[in-house]
Amino acid sequence: MTSSEYPVYEVFGQKDRLSFHTHVGSIRAPNPEMALQMAREAFFRREAVVDIWVVPQDAIYSAARDPAYLPAIGDDKKYRLPSGYDNAPHWKRFKAKAMTIEEVAEEMTAKRR
Amino acid sequence: MDDPIRTREFLERLERGDKIEATDWMPSEYRDLLIKQIHMHGISEIMGAYPEKEWVPKAPTIRRKLALNAKVQDEIGHGQMLLRLAEDLSRPYGRGREALMDDVIAGRVKFHNVFHMAAPTWADAGVIGFLVDGGAIITQAMLLDSSYAPYARMLKRIVAEESFHMQHGESVVLALAEGTEAQRSMLQEAINRWWEPMMFFFGPREMGRGSQRMMEYKIRTLTNEELRQKFINRYVPRVRALGLTLPDPKLKQDPATGLWEYTDPDWDWFNRMVRDNSGPMSQARIALRRFAHEEQRWVREAVRRASDELARLPGA
Repeated sequence: MTSSEYPVYEVFGQKDRLSFHTHVGSIRAPNPEMALQMAREAFFRREAVVDIWVVPQDAIYSAARDPAYLPAIGDDKKYRLPSGYDNAPHWKRFKAKAMTIEEVAEEMTAKRR
Repeated sequence: MDDPIRTREFLERLERGDKIEATDWMPSEYRDLLIKQIHMHGISEIMGAYPEKEWVPKAPTIRRKLALNAKVQDEIGHGQMLLRLAEDLSRPYGRGREALMDDVIAGRVKFHNVFHMAAPTWADAGVIGFLVDGGAIITQAMLLDSSYAPYARMLKRIVAEESFHMQHGESVVLALAEGTEAQRSMLQEAINRWWEPMMFFFGPREMGRGSQRMMEYKIRTLTNEELRQKFINRYVPRVRALGLTLPDPKLKQDPATGLWEYTDPDWDWFNRMVRDNSGPMSQARIALRRFAHEEQRWVREAVRRASDELARLPGA
């Protein structure tokens, strides 16, 4: 009875307003509204989410089908990464401290006391 | 017949510790073993909800009722998630949810022996959470490292929820253990009932060909006996700490190897039970599933047709 089968929806949940929607799994449902309801019941009985997306499975086109679309990591990409730059010993020579973006972010987002 | 070159490349991927996705090429034997395992797992989650569901209306307090209800909901949810995985794998065979569910009613898929058994007292509801969920967690924790990535990912979610089941089951068991003599003896009797089924739960000492192939394909990573030993090693001291006993005079740990000696369950009886659905509660629980699946089919069908009609309306 494959013809009476409900379509598959992939389910994504957003944990909070500043998070991306994350894939959690899939469900079957007869329509998008029911899919949302099923997704809530199946995946979000405990964890709070601020949004749920359901996407018809056949709407997803995956890069894994053709590896040509996948990034070629493995060559030296250090020049793109913070770890590719070793400034600390140089700052030390100037009697100053190296700084990381985490420190800056922490200072800028710290609650005012 | 599978392409031998692709098969070799596939085995090399597994050897490298690579994980397999649903859309990746896989040998048909790997696919079939996964379908068998995940289908059985999913159906066991659903059939496992029944013995506990029986206790929702009879739970002793509103808090226990809420917790048990939440647990039953979790088990059904796990069943749905796992069946989705089995469906994705079954796509080449054109078999979806309806077919996988029909298999339960027609007796074409097995479910765990423990869910064929009766849960006659409230202590059984607690001991199911304590020992059956405890055993299931040991098995599922092993599968977290499965070579089939969608299964491993889903198990991460499932195990997180199982941890509530474990605490809930232990809470019920502890309340009874701290209770009156009557409560303690009810608990003891439930443990006596569930111990032998739990020895069967992990499967035969000598694994069948399918289970061995699952190890070779890294779908699973421990043998039946390794899992059973881990279970005994965790639960025997806990039961004894409660001042209760286990119904097996042979239970003894070898101080040198750490391995436990135990009495074999009645393999023939349990094997027949899961094969023929001839356990004390098998038919009653399959009847509940038949009611949900077959007699509600018209509802699913009606919603689907209404949805299709609405989608065809202009402006939809």
